[in-house]
Formats: sequence, C-alpha cells, structure tokens
Amino acid sequence: MIEQIVELEKKEEKKDGPGAVPEIEVKGLSKYFGKRKVLDNISFELKKGGFLSLFGPNGAGKTTLVKIIATLIAPSDGSISVSGLDPAKDSAAIRSKIGLISHNPLLYLDLSAEENLKFYGTMYDVECLDQRIDELLERVELDHRRYDLVRTFSKGMTQRLAIARALLHKPSVLFLDEPHSGLDPHAVDIFEGLLDSIKEDHTFIMITHNIERGIALCSKAMILYNGQIVFYQDKDELDIKMFKSVYRQRVKGDY
Amino acid sequence: MSGGKQILAIIKKDIIAELRTKEMVISMLIFVILAMIIFSQAFNAAEKSLVEFGGGLLWVAFLFTSMLGLNRSFVHEKDEGCLEGLLMSPVDRPLIFFGKMLGNLIFLMVVEVIAIPIFLVLFGLNIGASLIGPFVAAILLGNIGISSVGTLLSTISINTKTRDLMLPILFLPIIIPLLIAAVGATGGIISGDREQLVSAYAAMRFMAVYDIIFLLVAYALYDFVIGE
Repeated sequence: MIEQIVELEKKEEKKDGPGAVPEIEVKGLSKYFGKRKVLDNISFELKKGGFLSLFGPNGAGKTTLVKIIATLIAPSDGSISVSGLDPAKDSAAIRSKIGLISHNPLLYLDLSAEENLKFYGTMYDVECLDQRIDELLERVELDHRRYDLVRTFSKGMTQRLAIARALLHKPSVLFLDEPHSGLDPHAVDIFEGLLDSIKEDHTFIMITHNIERGIALCSKAMILYNGQIVFYQDKDELDIKMFKSVYRQRVKGDY
Repeated sequence: MSGGKQILAIIKKDIIAELRTKEMVISMLIFVILAMIIFSQAFNAAEKSLVEFGGGLLWVAFLFTSMLGLNRSFVHEKDEGCLEGLLMSPVDRPLIFFGKMLGNLIFLMVVEVIAIPIFLVLFGLNIGASLIGPFVAAILLGNIGISSVGTLLSTISINTKTRDLMLPILFLPIIIPLLIAAVGATGGIISGDREQLVSAYAAMRFMAVYDIIFLLVAYALYDFVIGE
C-alpha cells in the first residue's frame, strides 16, 4: 500500500513537479502584421491544470496570442509548445488537444443542436460520437432541445451548446475568449458550474475584462498592453492592489 | 484521420443548411431562368444562328449564376465564427476546400439540371442522343473549373470588406480561358457538325487540364489561403 502511494506521488511529481513538461510554453514570442508589432517578446509557462486569466485593452494582442497558441496564426519570432508538441510539425495534433469557448458560439444557426455536434464530432473524428453527444447534451441540460435549430436558442442556451461543442473531443486545453459576454446571471451560474466540474482535468487560458471573475478562477493573472506583458503573477503571490493599479493605468485609461 | 468522412460531413452540412434556408439555390435558379428568357427574347429564337450563339449564351448565364452561389458559400462559415471553429479542428485544410468545392458543384448542377431543358426549349435546340454524353461531360468539366477556382477565390474574398466586389474582380480574369473552351465545346456539340465536334473535343481536353491544374493549385495553396 505504502509502495503504491509512493509510486502515485512520484507520478504526480513527474506530472506537475519542477521537472514536468509545461502544458503550454511560450518563449520570446513576437508577431508582426505588416510593420505593426502586435506581440513583443512574450514568454510564459502554464502547467497542466493551470488557469491563466488574460487581461488587457482592446488591441493589446490577447486574441492574437491565443490564435498563435491554437496554431491558427504562425508567430513571426519565438516558439511555443503545447503538451510538448511543436506547432510547426504537429499542428493538427495540437488542435485536437484544444477546445475554444468564445463570445461567438461557433455554431451553425440553421442546424439543430445534435447536427452541430455531429458535424464537429466528425471533424474531430470523435469515437462513439452518438454516446458522447448524449452525455454532453445531458450535461449542459439541452437534451430536450437536441432536434431544435440553434437559431431558436436563447443566448444562454447557445453558450451552453458551445461548451458542449468545445468539450466534444475531450480537449486537455481550453481557451475561453470573453465567455461571459452577453450571458444573463442564470446562464453565468450554469456556465461557471460546468467550468468548475471540468477545472481539474483541463488547462485554461481565459481572455476577460471581468476582474472579479478572472481573478477568482485563475491560478495566474497576466495583463497585456501594446503586445507586451506589463503584469504577470501567480494568484498565490498576487498583489491585488498592484494588479488593480496596473489595470486601471493601462486598461481603463484606454477606454 | 480519414478525409472522406470529413469532406462528406461538410457537404452534408451545407446541403442541410441550404434545404432549410433555400437562399442560394432559389436565387441562382431565378437568375438563370430570367437570363435565359431575356436572351431568348433578345435573339430571335427561330434564327439558325442561335446554334452558333447557344454555347456562349448558356455559359454567360451559368457563370453569373455561379457567382451568386459562390458569394454566399462562405457566409454561413463566417456567421457566428464558424470558420474559426472549423479551422480549430485538426482536419487538413485541403479537405475543407474539397468539401466546400463539391458542395458548390452540387448546387450549381442542381440549378443546371432545371435550367438546361428550359434553355433547349426556349432556343428550340435539339441535341442528338449520341451527343448527350459529350454535352454532359462538357458541362461537368466547366462546372468543376468554376467551382474549384470560385471556392478558392471566395475563401480569399470572404475576409475582405468588399467581398461582393472582390470575387468577380479575382474570378473573371482567371476563369476566361476555361469559359472560352467551354463555349467552344458546348457550341460544337450543339451544332452536331463533325468538324466542329473535333474542335469541341479538343476544347474539352483543355478544360480537363485546366481543372486538374486548378484543383492541384487549390490543394497546394489552401492552407495558406484560409490561414492568415
């Protein structure tokens, strides 16, 4: 029994300890669009199960950073890795590990909930797809609306279906791009309940303007401004006064 | 990952959405029938010269009809960020091209299946039974070229602000060689003249080469085109 516990502890240490491969590693990342520098020498690491809340004014480079990690855009300089995979060689493998929940639902309005999930499930080559769809529709409390067109859904219902779509292929990394945008308080509760239930098994990067929610959920907080990191701290060491001061100075000043 | 399943899923998704909205095929159909009625009125349908003009009139109508469909083919993908959702999946980009291209080809052919008999009746043209096969082949070769070039270029134009203007600007100069060959091929087949048939078959060979080249170009470039 003791041997088993020691073995388990060793495994955990290997997974999360100092020698563990970070789930997301970004080194000296820069991105130019034409002559405009959108990201400037960004470096950070996120371990498996970590939750990074990413703050910053519009145009700070938050979405570009997420798109580069998701292999949708190539970096101009620097490197990234997701689960130790190199996007230059393994972009499809990286994309199969990533789920995206955005303020856009990424759902076809003229297809039903089930048709949308079947379509995306086929794109991701999900095994036992029908079973997985049943399970997820039940989890997001939409099984009674599975044959209805997404066009007829409320914003909250659409967002719940978007969560089911993002979790369909069992991603290990989830990107949340302003996921609370446009949700009513009840939908926010359901959304955060779902988030809580999957938090332990996933690594998150969340783009948000909501300080309270962003700080409450995160294990690390980052502020981007003009493509540069102007604040980056672990939540355990987070100096909330300093965070708010930097945020006010950089973000609110831009509004 | 098997590609056929993903291509079929894209085609099925586009067909289901179109069956529900009917916005693409209906507008294409109305346009092509109106164009044929106007052409038949503008030219005297009883004149013998219609055999010579027939191929040209047919392809002018089909070309502009196809542009109506191509302009709309990526609108559903762009709505609600679906294109981003599709690009986030691990599916190879060329498979997305082939799925969208085959969907566009099917919609164009559905319209043509209804429009061609109307065209033949309005213009009083008759294609001999032995020439129906080559006629269908010429139409198919033209459609494959239009759909492959059109899908590639509508992917580029969807990300521009003036996409309705951008597609014809990019599409028409590139499609002209195919269009000239298609007019020659269908015109020759409609005439039924042996000499013209020889040049019609030569034009069809050119169309086949054009189609292969542009399918290969799209396969090679699509990752870049649909990316940044």
